[in-house]
Amino acid sequence: MDEKEMFVNAYRTMVLARTLDKKIVTAQRQGRVGFYTPTMGQEALQVGMSMALEKDDLIYEYYRDVPFMLHRGVPVETLIDQIMGNSMDNEKGRQMPSHYSAKEYNFMSVQSPVATNLPLAAGAAYAIKYRKKKNIVVTTFGDGSTSTPDFHAAMNMAAVFDLPVVFLCENNKWAISLPVEKQTKVEIWKKAEAYGMRGLKVDGNDLFAMYEVAKAEVEKTRNTGEPVLIEAVSYRMGPHSTSDDPSKYRTDTIPEGSEGDPIVIAEKKLKEKGYIDDAQIEKIKNEAKELVDRKFEEREKVPPPKPETMFQDVYENSNWIIEEEKGDIL
Amino acid sequence: MVQAINSTLDSFMARDDSIILLGEDIGKDGGVFRVTDGLQAKYGTERVIDTPLVELGIVGMAIGMAVSGLRPVPEIQFQDFIFTAFDQLVNQAAKMRYRSGGSYNVPMVLRTPYGGGIKGGLYHAQSGEAYFAHTAGLTVISPSNPYDAKGLLSASLKYNDPIIFLEPKRLYRSMKNDVPDEDYEVPIGKASLVHEGDDLTFVTYGSMVPLVLNTVSKNNLNADVIDLRTIMPYDGETILNSVKKTGKVIIVHEAPRTLGMGAEISAFIAERAIDYLMGPILRVTGPDTPFPYRLEDYYMPNETRILKAVRKLQEYR
Repeated sequence: MDEKEMFVNAYRTMVLARTLDKKIVTAQRQGRVGFYTPTMGQEALQVGMSMALEKDDLIYEYYRDVPFMLHRGVPVETLIDQIMGNSMDNEKGRQMPSHYSAKEYNFMSVQSPVATNLPLAAGAAYAIKYRKKKNIVVTTFGDGSTSTPDFHAAMNMAAVFDLPVVFLCENNKWAISLPVEKQTKVEIWKKAEAYGMRGLKVDGNDLFAMYEVAKAEVEKTRNTGEPVLIEAVSYRMGPHSTSDDPSKYRTDTIPEGSEGDPIVIAEKKLKEKGYIDDAQIEKIKNEAKELVDRKFEEREKVPPPKPETMFQDVYENSNWIIEEEKGDIL
Repeated sequence: MVQAINSTLDSFMARDDSIILLGEDIGKDGGVFRVTDGLQAKYGTERVIDTPLVELGIVGMAIGMAVSGLRPVPEIQFQDFIFTAFDQLVNQAAKMRYRSGGSYNVPMVLRTPYGGGIKGGLYHAQSGEAYFAHTAGLTVISPSNPYDAKGLLSASLKYNDPIIFLEPKRLYRSMKNDVPDEDYEVPIGKASLVHEGDDLTFVTYGSMVPLVLNTVSKNNLNADVIDLRTIMPYDGETILNSVKKTGKVIIVHEAPRTLGMGAEISAFIAERAIDYLMGPILRVTGPDTPFPYRLEDYYMPNETRILKAVRKLQEYR
């Protein structure tokens, strides 16, 4: 894929993610979806990272990584199935919306407690190193996660054992209502030095800048087997979740379509480079809307999981206690 | 028991290179109880890993290894120190298979010494089995002798879900019985009837098994003694069969009484066999206090307290 095609494809994914995001938020307000954590604003940094990765790299993502997943090929319907919690969902409707799982694309299943995916990423990287493989692990988390003991444990372990982990902090400035300035006294990327690993900051709203950094750092990690902390500075344009009202705690915003919007930034650069024109942008947006609307209507008709699935997958082999409870309830 | 666990780990590691041990001081030092003694020298630092001092990191890394196809055996130096890793156990390990719709699973055997009787005080003597047994997705095991330790560990190392393998540290060196050299497994989820009788049923596990057996033989009690071996899922069938025969039950464990395993087992019996009972279901357990250092002997269940419960049940005919 040449560079033009690569970036146009990246832009297409960003638009698709944004379109899906808005569709789900609207559907939630209409009572068609229970809950959602919007990704709006974090498209560029996720897609930029994804562009730098190989198919067999492992992703230990968090609950705001839709653009990342779409760019690695996870079908729109897989994400919608999870949002609906229907019988086609990879997780059989067991998790709240936004907690995806896609093993086929090397995405771990997402948990709610923040940063608890980070030590797992270190363990997965240990397995890679032990088996002398060449793939790497990327783990994502927000700025709030950097306060947790799990962040500390994982950063320390990855450094001590020289593990191929890219710690991608999606600094969207807000952990629900707490601004990043009140989360931590130092800039996040600087924490890397204390653990003995590379650390750097990048404008996560600029697709081109993000890709450049991601490509260089992923390559270094792949070649040296050493971890890195990348702080991608971005902005959570939407609420934390559909249950959250940011007007209670913040006045700063990046309105959609304004010059701070990563999609607008990408459009400007793509046009400057002559990769895309207004007609193509229009076409990409229309195609995204058509695809999302169509898939959404289609997947909304998928029936919910059968009640007996509630009792499956607790263990490889069920036990008498669960079977008895199943008998009582069903 | 230390030797049985060590040699079982050794023989499994020799034939399965996906087994990785990790924990604090388990390598060069062989672990504070010497359970992993000599294994690092034999299998190298990549397979017997001395980790930084961070329990949640040990468990979290082990989960990641397990998801990636290894078979990690993390050691938590004392079960009392496990609580910073509780989130990892409850929210990651236990729910992995379920939350991923069966895509991912965690074949991990977490070993940890637990229980009192070694003058450990508040932070080296707790019995936390109920915390783990209360979590769907975990399997909780506690051997009471070297033979079972080998058999249960062997079964655990082939199991594809996370196991909390609780080793009664009081029995590490005091319990000796014949352990055959050849391979065998003690099935997970099956209790053992370690003494048979008609008048009374004891349900117990871990370090309380030798205590109950001694009490029974010293006092010529005509009792069934059930060693659960697997705490979760416990073997309800063996318990019921015995209770229906004897009509009297005493449950013995070190852990505090309130919401301990005894509470679950008595409810289980009451729901299914109340018509067979000739007296109340009694519990002899640790009290609902923290575990004291100097007054350990008062905390731990002992022969006197067990006999007091026996006499109480003798009033019911």
